[in-house]
Amino acid sequence: MLLRGLSWLVAFQLAGTALNVLFFPVIPGPIIGLVLLFIYLMLRGGVNESLNEAAASLLRYLPLLLVPPAIGVMAHMDDIKADFWAIIGALVISLLVSMVFIGWLMQTLINRQARNKGKL
Amino acid sequence: MTVEWQAALDAVIQHPLFFVGLTLGVYQLAVAAYEKTRWIILQPLLISMVVLIAVLLALDIDYVNYKQGTQLLTLILGPATVALAVPLYLNVRRVRQVLWPTLITLFVGGLFATVLGVALAWAFGAETMILKTIAPKSVTSPIAMLVAEEMGGSASLAAVFVMITGILGAMIGVELLRVFRITNTAAQGMALGIIAHGIGTARALQESEESGAFAALAMSVMGVLTAVLMPLAVALIA
Repeated sequence: MLLRGLSWLVAFQLAGTALNVLFFPVIPGPIIGLVLLFIYLMLRGGVNESLNEAAASLLRYLPLLLVPPAIGVMAHMDDIKADFWAIIGALVISLLVSMVFIGWLMQTLINRQARNKGKL
Repeated sequence: MTVEWQAALDAVIQHPLFFVGLTLGVYQLAVAAYEKTRWIILQPLLISMVVLIAVLLALDIDYVNYKQGTQLLTLILGPATVALAVPLYLNVRRVRQVLWPTLITLFVGGLFATVLGVALAWAFGAETMILKTIAPKSVTSPIAMLVAEEMGGSASLAAVFVMITGILGAMIGVELLRVFRITNTAAQGMALGIIAHGIGTARALQESEESGAFAALAMSVMGVLTAVLMPLAVALIA
Protein backbone atom coordinates (compact mmCIF):
# COMPACT_ATOMS: atom_id res chain seq x y z
CA MET A 1 0.00 0.00 0.00
CA LEU A 2 2.80 2.36 0.97
CA LEU A 3 4.53 1.53 -2.30
CA ARG A 4 1.50 2.48 -4.38
CA GLY A 5 1.27 5.87 -2.66
CA LEU A 6 4.98 6.48 -3.17
CA SER A 7 4.62 5.63 -6.85
CA TRP A 8 1.90 8.25 -7.19
CA LEU A 9 4.09 10.88 -5.51
CA VAL A 10 7.00 10.05 -7.84
CA ALA A 11 4.66 10.13 -10.85
CA PHE A 12 3.37 13.60 -9.88
CA GLN A 13 6.92 14.85 -9.32
CA LEU A 14 7.93 13.61 -12.81
CA ALA A 15 4.83 15.17 -14.38
CA GLY A 16 5.81 18.42 -12.63
CA THR A 17 9.30 18.19 -14.12
CA ALA A 18 7.86 17.69 -17.62
CA LEU A 19 5.53 20.70 -17.26
CA ASN A 20 8.40 22.76 -15.86
CA VAL A 21 10.42 22.17 -19.03
CA LEU A 22 7.42 22.56 -21.36
CA PHE A 23 5.50 25.55 -19.99
CA PHE A 24 6.58 26.94 -16.60
CA PRO A 25 10.35 27.36 -16.52
CA VAL A 26 10.21 29.65 -13.44
CA ILE A 27 8.21 27.32 -11.17
CA PRO A 28 10.21 24.39 -9.72
CA GLY A 29 9.09 20.90 -10.84
CA PRO A 30 8.18 19.58 -7.36
CA ILE A 31 5.93 22.64 -6.79
CA ILE A 32 4.07 21.98 -10.05
CA GLY A 33 3.73 18.35 -8.90
CA LEU A 34 2.30 19.59 -5.59
CA VAL A 35 -0.29 21.77 -7.34
CA LEU A 36 -1.23 18.92 -9.72
CA LEU A 37 -1.73 16.53 -6.81
CA PHE A 38 -3.82 19.14 -4.97
CA ILE A 39 -6.07 19.60 -8.04
CA TYR A 40 -6.35 15.82 -8.38
CA LEU A 41 -7.43 15.52 -4.72
CA MET A 42 -10.01 18.32 -5.14
CA LEU A 43 -11.49 16.60 -8.21
CA ARG A 44 -11.46 13.21 -6.54
CA GLY A 45 -12.94 14.61 -3.31
CA GLY A 46 -10.77 12.62 -0.91
CA VAL A 47 -7.36 11.14 -0.13
CA ASN A 48 -7.02 7.36 -0.52
CA GLU A 49 -5.26 5.41 2.17
CA SER A 50 -2.10 4.47 0.29
CA LEU A 51 -1.44 8.08 -0.71
CA ASN A 52 -2.15 9.31 2.80
CA GLU A 53 0.23 6.74 4.27
CA ALA A 54 3.04 7.53 1.81
CA ALA A 55 2.66 11.29 2.30
CA ALA A 56 2.60 11.01 6.08
CA SER A 57 5.71 8.80 6.16
CA LEU A 58 7.70 11.10 3.87
CA LEU A 59 6.61 14.29 5.65
CA ARG A 60 7.56 12.80 8.99
CA TYR A 61 11.18 12.73 7.83
CA LEU A 62 11.11 16.00 5.92
CA PRO A 63 13.58 17.78 8.25
CA LEU A 64 16.05 14.91 7.75
CA LEU A 65 15.79 15.20 3.96
CA LEU A 66 16.51 18.92 4.25
CA VAL A 67 19.74 18.47 6.20
CA PRO A 68 22.09 17.87 3.21
CA PRO A 69 21.01 20.93 1.18
CA ALA A 70 21.04 23.05 4.34
CA ILE A 71 24.66 22.14 5.07
CA GLY A 72 25.50 24.17 1.95
CA VAL A 73 25.34 27.23 4.21
CA MET A 74 29.01 26.41 4.92
CA ALA A 75 29.81 28.09 1.62
CA HIS A 76 27.95 31.29 2.58
CA MET A 77 29.64 32.27 5.83
CA ASP A 78 31.15 35.38 4.22
CA ASP A 79 27.80 36.54 2.81
CA ILE A 80 26.24 36.23 6.26
CA LYS A 81 29.09 38.13 7.91
CA ALA A 82 28.91 40.93 5.33
CA ASP A 83 25.17 41.56 5.85
CA PHE A 84 24.73 40.24 9.38
CA TRP A 85 22.89 43.20 10.95
CA ALA A 86 20.79 43.87 7.85
CA ILE A 87 19.62 40.25 7.92
CA ILE A 88 18.86 40.16 11.64
CA GLY A 89 17.15 43.57 11.55
CA ALA A 90 14.98 42.66 8.56
CA LEU A 91 14.01 39.26 9.98
CA VAL A 92 13.14 40.51 13.47
CA ILE A 93 11.33 43.76 12.59
CA SER A 94 9.30 42.25 9.74
CA LEU A 95 8.36 39.35 12.02
CA LEU A 96 7.07 41.61 14.82
CA VAL A 97 5.13 43.95 12.54
CA SER A 98 3.58 41.35 10.21
CA MET A 99 2.61 39.05 13.05
CA VAL A 100 0.52 41.76 14.71
CA PHE A 101 -0.87 42.96 11.36
CA ILE A 102 -1.99 39.46 10.30
CA GLY A 103 -3.55 38.68 13.69
CA TRP A 104 -5.39 42.02 13.69
CA LEU A 105 -6.60 41.60 10.08
CA MET A 106 -7.99 38.11 10.64
CA GLN A 107 -9.69 39.07 13.91
CA THR A 108 -11.30 42.15 12.32
CA LEU A 109 -12.53 40.18 9.29
CA ILE A 110 -14.01 37.40 11.43
CA ASN A 111 -15.80 39.88 13.69
CA ARG A 112 -17.20 41.70 10.66
CA GLN A 113 -18.45 38.43 9.13
CA ALA A 114 -20.10 37.51 12.43
CA ARG A 115 -21.79 40.96 12.64
CA ASN A 116 -23.07 40.72 9.06
CA LYS A 117 -24.52 37.29 9.71
CA GLY A 118 -26.21 38.68 12.82
CA LYS A 119 -27.98 41.36 10.73
CA LEU A 120 -29.38 38.89 8.20
CA MET B 1 50.52 -9.29 12.13
CA THR B 2 49.85 -5.53 12.07
CA VAL B 3 46.34 -4.23 12.39
CA GLU B 4 45.52 -1.85 9.54
CA TRP B 5 43.54 0.74 11.51
CA GLN B 6 44.19 3.53 9.06
CA ALA B 7 43.14 1.44 6.05
CA ALA B 8 39.92 0.42 7.76
CA LEU B 9 39.13 4.02 8.73
CA ASP B 10 39.76 5.22 5.16
CA ALA B 11 37.55 2.47 3.75
CA VAL B 12 34.72 3.50 6.08
CA ILE B 13 35.02 7.21 5.29
CA GLN B 14 35.17 6.57 1.55
CA HIS B 15 32.22 4.17 1.52
CA PRO B 16 29.28 5.62 -0.50
CA LEU B 17 27.02 5.25 2.53
CA PHE B 18 29.32 7.01 5.03
CA PHE B 19 27.73 10.46 4.76
CA VAL B 20 24.21 9.02 4.76
CA GLY B 21 25.07 7.11 7.94
CA LEU B 22 26.63 10.17 9.54
CA THR B 23 23.60 12.32 8.67
CA LEU B 24 21.14 9.70 9.97
CA GLY B 25 23.07 9.36 13.23
CA VAL B 26 23.38 13.09 13.89
CA TYR B 27 19.73 13.71 12.99
CA GLN B 28 18.48 11.06 15.40
CA LEU B 29 20.60 12.49 18.20
CA ALA B 30 19.16 15.94 17.44
CA VAL B 31 15.59 14.58 17.50
CA ALA B 32 16.30 12.85 20.82
CA ALA B 33 17.67 16.12 22.27
CA TYR B 34 14.56 18.00 21.10
CA GLU B 35 12.13 15.42 22.45
CA LYS B 36 13.86 15.30 25.79
CA THR B 37 13.99 19.06 26.36
CA ARG B 38 11.11 20.31 24.15
CA TRP B 39 13.00 23.57 23.72
CA ILE B 40 11.78 25.34 20.59
CA ILE B 41 15.29 26.47 19.79
CA LEU B 42 16.55 22.87 19.49
CA GLN B 43 14.97 22.29 16.06
CA PRO B 44 16.39 18.98 14.78
CA LEU B 45 17.22 20.49 11.39
CA LEU B 46 19.10 23.40 12.95
CA ILE B 47 21.02 21.24 15.45
CA SER B 48 21.91 18.67 12.76
CA MET B 49 23.25 21.49 10.59
CA VAL B 50 25.46 22.91 13.32
CA VAL B 51 26.83 19.50 14.39
CA LEU B 52 27.43 18.22 10.85
CA ILE B 53 29.16 21.41 9.75
CA ALA B 54 31.45 21.14 12.78
CA VAL B 55 32.22 17.48 11.95
CA LEU B 56 32.92 18.24 8.26
CA LEU B 57 35.20 21.14 9.20
CA ALA B 58 37.03 19.00 11.77
CA LEU B 59 37.56 16.15 9.26
CA ASP B 60 38.48 18.71 6.55
CA ILE B 61 35.81 17.40 4.15
CA ASP B 62 34.53 19.56 1.29
CA TYR B 63 30.80 20.31 0.99
CA VAL B 64 30.90 18.96 -2.58
CA ASN B 65 31.93 15.51 -1.31
CA TYR B 66 29.25 15.56 1.37
CA LYS B 67 26.63 16.63 -1.17
CA GLN B 68 27.52 13.78 -3.51
CA GLY B 69 27.50 11.33 -0.64
CA THR B 70 23.97 12.26 0.46
CA GLN B 71 22.20 12.18 -2.92
CA LEU B 72 20.19 9.21 -1.68
CA LEU B 73 18.41 11.53 0.78
CA THR B 74 18.19 14.54 -1.53
CA LEU B 75 16.47 12.49 -4.25
CA ILE B 76 13.47 11.78 -2.01
CA LEU B 77 13.01 15.51 -1.33
CA GLY B 78 11.06 16.00 -4.60
CA PRO B 79 8.30 13.45 -3.86
CA ALA B 80 8.24 14.69 -0.22
CA THR B 81 7.54 18.23 -1.46
CA VAL B 82 4.76 16.89 -3.69
CA ALA B 83 3.35 15.13 -0.60
CA LEU B 84 2.67 18.55 1.00
CA ALA B 85 -0.45 18.60 -1.22
CA VAL B 86 -2.13 16.08 1.10
CA PRO B 87 -2.12 18.21 4.29
CA LEU B 88 -2.94 21.26 2.14
CA TYR B 89 -6.07 19.50 0.82
CA LEU B 90 -7.15 18.23 4.25
CA ASN B 91 -6.68 21.69 5.81
CA VAL B 92 -8.56 23.57 3.11
CA ARG B 93 -11.51 21.22 3.58
CA ARG B 94 -11.52 21.90 7.30
CA VAL B 95 -12.06 25.67 7.44
CA ARG B 96 -14.89 26.27 4.95
CA GLN B 97 -16.96 28.34 7.41
CA VAL B 98 -14.59 31.30 7.54
CA LEU B 99 -13.20 30.81 4.04
CA TRP B 100 -13.24 34.46 2.97
CA PRO B 101 -11.57 36.03 6.02
CA THR B 102 -9.00 33.24 5.81
CA LEU B 103 -8.22 33.75 2.12
CA ILE B 104 -8.07 37.55 2.38
CA THR B 105 -5.78 37.38 5.42
CA LEU B 106 -3.56 34.83 3.71
CA PHE B 107 -3.19 36.86 0.56
CA VAL B 108 -2.87 40.35 2.06
CA GLY B 109 -0.94 39.26 5.15
CA GLY B 110 1.41 36.96 3.25
CA LEU B 111 2.19 39.65 0.71
CA PHE B 112 2.71 42.21 3.49
CA ALA B 113 5.11 39.97 5.43
CA THR B 114 7.13 39.14 2.32
CA VAL B 115 7.38 42.69 0.99
CA LEU B 116 8.22 44.13 4.41
CA GLY B 117 11.06 41.62 4.94
CA VAL B 118 12.64 42.33 1.56
CA ALA B 119 12.13 46.10 1.85
CA LEU B 120 13.79 46.24 5.28
CA ALA B 121 16.76 44.13 4.16
CA TRP B 122 17.12 46.40 1.13
CA ALA B 123 16.88 49.54 3.28
CA PHE B 124 19.57 48.12 5.58
CA GLY B 125 21.84 47.69 2.57
CA ALA B 126 21.84 43.91 2.04
CA GLU B 127 23.09 42.49 -1.26
CA THR B 128 20.74 41.31 -4.04
CA MET B 129 21.52 37.65 -3.36
CA ILE B 130 20.44 38.11 0.28
CA LEU B 131 17.25 39.91 -0.79
CA LYS B 132 16.27 37.00 -3.03
CA THR B 133 17.02 34.59 -0.23
CA ILE B 134 15.14 36.51 2.48
CA ALA B 135 11.96 36.81 0.38
CA PRO B 136 10.64 33.29 1.14
CA LYS B 137 11.63 33.45 4.86
CA SER B 138 8.11 32.77 6.14
CA VAL B 139 7.56 29.65 4.04
CA THR B 140 8.11 26.04 5.05
CA SER B 141 11.75 25.04 4.40
CA PRO B 142 11.43 22.68 1.37
CA ILE B 143 9.45 25.28 -0.58
CA ALA B 144 11.57 28.24 0.58
CA MET B 145 14.74 26.44 -0.51
CA LEU B 146 13.39 25.61 -3.97
CA VAL B 147 12.03 29.12 -4.51
CA ALA B 148 15.18 30.90 -3.29
CA GLU B 149 17.35 28.82 -5.59
CA GLU B 150 15.00 29.33 -8.53
CA MET B 151 15.25 33.13 -8.14
CA GLY B 152 19.04 33.18 -7.84
CA GLY B 153 19.30 33.20 -4.06
CA SER B 154 20.79 30.47 -1.89
CA ALA B 155 18.79 27.39 -0.86
CA SER B 156 20.87 26.63 2.22
CA LEU B 157 20.85 30.23 3.44
CA ALA B 158 17.07 30.30 2.92
CA ALA B 159 16.84 27.32 5.28
CA VAL B 160 18.68 29.31 7.94
CA PHE B 161 16.42 32.38 7.54
CA VAL B 162 13.34 30.14 7.68
CA MET B 163 14.61 28.53 10.90
CA ILE B 164 15.36 31.88 12.58
CA THR B 165 11.94 33.29 11.62
CA GLY B 166 10.13 30.13 12.72
CA ILE B 167 11.88 29.81 16.07
CA LEU B 168 11.47 33.49 16.91
CA GLY B 169 7.83 33.55 15.82
CA ALA B 170 7.02 30.46 17.88
CA MET B 171 8.86 31.82 20.92
CA ILE B 172 7.25 35.26 21.13
CA GLY B 173 4.20 35.09 18.81
CA VAL B 174 1.47 34.16 21.27
CA GLU B 175 2.61 36.67 23.90
CA LEU B 176 3.03 39.42 21.29
CA LEU B 177 -0.51 38.91 19.98
CA ARG B 178 -1.89 38.93 23.50
CA VAL B 179 -0.26 42.33 24.17
CA PHE B 180 -2.16 43.72 21.15
CA ARG B 181 -5.40 42.07 22.34
CA ILE B 182 -5.58 39.61 19.48
CA THR B 183 -7.25 36.76 21.31
CA ASN B 184 -9.35 35.12 18.59
CA THR B 185 -7.93 31.60 18.22
CA ALA B 186 -8.32 31.57 14.44
CA ALA B 187 -6.46 34.89 14.15
CA GLN B 188 -3.72 33.61 16.44
CA GLY B 189 -3.34 30.44 14.35
CA MET B 190 -3.22 32.38 11.09
CA ALA B 191 -0.50 34.72 12.36
CA LEU B 192 1.62 31.82 13.62
CA GLY B 193 1.15 29.72 10.46
CA ILE B 194 1.74 32.50 7.91
CA ILE B 195 4.85 33.86 9.64
CA ALA B 196 6.36 30.91 11.45
CA HIS B 197 5.29 27.95 9.19
CA GLY B 198 5.79 24.49 10.74
CA ILE B 199 7.40 25.63 13.98
CA GLY B 200 4.63 28.18 14.50
CA THR B 201 2.03 25.52 13.77
CA ALA B 202 3.48 23.28 16.48
CA ARG B 203 3.26 26.23 18.89
CA ALA B 204 -0.33 27.00 17.86
CA LEU B 205 -1.29 23.37 18.54
CA GLN B 206 -0.11 23.81 22.12
CA GLU B 207 -2.61 26.68 22.50
CA SER B 208 -5.65 24.91 21.06
CA GLU B 209 -6.79 22.46 18.40
CA GLU B 210 -8.56 25.24 16.45
CA SER B 211 -5.54 27.52 16.52
CA GLY B 212 -3.41 24.62 15.24
CA ALA B 213 -5.82 23.86 12.39
CA PHE B 214 -5.71 27.45 11.15
CA ALA B 215 -1.94 27.57 11.48
CA ALA B 216 -1.58 24.37 9.46
CA LEU B 217 -3.86 25.73 6.76
CA ALA B 218 -2.10 29.10 6.69
CA MET B 219 1.28 27.42 6.44
CA SER B 220 0.32 25.17 3.52
CA VAL B 221 -1.51 27.84 1.51
CA MET B 222 1.23 30.42 2.18
CA GLY B 223 3.79 27.90 0.92
CA VAL B 224 1.99 27.15 -2.32
CA LEU B 225 1.04 30.79 -3.02
CA THR B 226 4.66 31.85 -2.52
CA ALA B 227 6.02 28.99 -4.61
CA VAL B 228 3.79 29.82 -7.55
CA LEU B 229 3.48 33.61 -7.38
CA MET B 230 6.95 34.71 -6.23
CA PRO B 231 8.97 33.34 -9.18
CA LEU B 232 6.31 34.67 -11.57
CA ALA B 233 6.44 38.12 -9.95
CA VAL B 234 10.23 38.18 -10.11
CA ALA B 235 10.15 37.06 -13.76
CA LEU B 236 7.71 39.88 -14.59
CA ILE B 237 9.75 42.56 -12.80
CA ALA B 238 13.10 41.46 -14.24
